[in-house]
Amino acid sequence: MHTLKIENLTASVENKTILKDFNIEIKSGEIHAIMGPNGTGKSTLSKVIMGSSNYKIEKGKILFDDKELNDLPTDERARLGLFLGYQMPLEIEGVSNSDFLRTAMRSKNEEFKLYDFIKKINSTVDQLNMDRQMIHRGINEGFSGGERKKNEILQMYMLEPNTIILDEIDSGLDVDSLRIVGENVMKYYKENKPAILLITHYQRLLDYIKPDFVHIMKDGHIVKTGDKELVKEIEEYGYDDEKLGTKVVEEN
Amino acid sequence: MNKIILENDKIIEENLDSSIKYDIFTNDTFGIASLTLEITNDTDLEINYNFKDKTKLETMIIVNKDVNLRLFEKINGEYAKLRTKYYLKENSNVKTSKFNNIKEIKEYTIINLDEENASIEYNLKTISEKEEVYDILTYHNASNTISNINPNGVNIKDGKLKFNVSSFVPNKIVKCDAGQNNKIINLTNNECIINPNLYIDEYDVTANHSAWIGSFNSDELFYLESRGINKKEATKLLIKGFLTNKLEIEETEKENIKNIIDEYWR
Ligand SMILES: Nc1ncnc2c1ncn2[C@@H]1O[C@H](COP(=O)(O)OP(=O)(O)OP(=O)(O)O)[C@@H](O)[C@H]1O
Ligand SMILES: [Mg+2]
Repeated sequence: MHTLKIENLTASVENKTILKDFNIEIKSGEIHAIMGPNGTGKSTLSKVIMGSSNYKIEKGKILFDDKELNDLPTDERARLGLFLGYQMPLEIEGVSNSDFLRTAMRSKNEEFKLYDFIKKINSTVDQLNMDRQMIHRGINEGFSGGERKKNEILQMYMLEPNTIILDEIDSGLDVDSLRIVGENVMKYYKENKPAILLITHYQRLLDYIKPDFVHIMKDGHIVKTGDKELVKEIEEYGYDDEKLGTKVVEEN
Repeated sequence: MNKIILENDKIIEENLDSSIKYDIFTNDTFGIASLTLEITNDTDLEINYNFKDKTKLETMIIVNKDVNLRLFEKINGEYAKLRTKYYLKENSNVKTSKFNNIKEIKEYTIINLDEENASIEYNLKTISEKEEVYDILTYHNASNTISNINPNGVNIKDGKLKFNVSSFVPNKIVKCDAGQNNKIINLTNNECIINPNLYIDEYDVTANHSAWIGSFNSDELFYLESRGINKKEATKLLIKGFLTNKLEIEETEKENIKNIIDEYWR
């Protein structure tokens, strides 16, 4: 049982405050969805949680099982079980997926066994309907948008995290790939009961991955929390404050 | 696979089929050994240079009409002054993959694209730990010729690495493509230099060059670290990627290069 708790988090990039007093608590076995307009700080939140040095924490805390992560290096956060599936997964020329994942798994588990690794990566690649050749190609090198997203899910399966953030894992996927990704995230969820934080713009992903909580994020923090019904309101009204009842009274 | 192994300026082992003619002689005036290779048919060739003592050597590579050569050069040892000249005939193509792991080197490479439709892709990788200077000059002497020159180096310890890379396209030599992609990952405070030059005297040409000196991209490091890999291991992975990418060599040769990198970054 793990808990990721964000307390009054305020973070900035290049002197511009993006996250403003952000709060959330996510426990193992819970699925949370965050929705919100472009540029509101959703990806920023996910990268700050992973410890990107591009962002500065002005105040507040990131807690994992009551341990403060604010100053913990990124790799150590990952080894605690945190995983971020990126909105825009990078291409890294020349570093093969297989070298990369082997190194990552060895970092996490000293009893790493090559045979088990090969068996698992092959079966997961098949399960995600990916091409086995990709294992030997550079990380996301020449991958299409959809293939990159599947590669994130492959990495999730290999690393077996307990706390998962998926930043727009649905964008760039065709209908069949969306189903495969959705079903595989759900399969992983059923088998491992991780905490999941989904960032998405669309209802269709939530048809596969059913959230317990839906949050609306605007202007750097959560303005409303509800259940799946809230998604319907958003689909209907967009992020209109009046209609959603999220008008915030400015403090002085 | 055709293979030549040299120790200093002597051939100590040679295994060549009929697609390669060779000759080695020492020029009495200058006392420099000169190795000449003529490639007469499509083939792969590995040249393995081991410079145990200070060595000066000249290599000439002539690639005949319609011939494709895939060349793999490995340079090891202490110190060398090398001059390599390529002469590419009509419609020939060369892909050079080169890995240098030598203490000090001055290397002067001249690529002559002498006849129409000749093309070369030249990928140099080096680990520089003392002083290394590379001059790479590409002459587009005929129309429709293509050059793609990619010198890559990682600079460490007392390293000072310098790339002088020049491409020439004279007037009336048309429809050429001259590309350069120079990159140095400098992991020291020492100065590294790239001088990329395009000397182009003709409008009907595609030319581009880039030069980068710096460390690894922080987003790439973040991506690797976010999968649980520490900074040192992540850097090592990026070095391995940087120094093997684009090389057209056997997987086992790539593994050998990665093992050498492991030795440096224990
Ligand atoms: N590294 C950075 N440098 C400069 N500005 C940044 C950086 N990262 C984020 N920003 C800015 O912070 C704001 C929030 O960006 P973020 O990517 O978090 O939005 P988002 O909610 O994920 O949007 P989307 O729905 O479009 O993905 C934007 O205005 C963006 O331009
Ligand atoms: Mg985003």
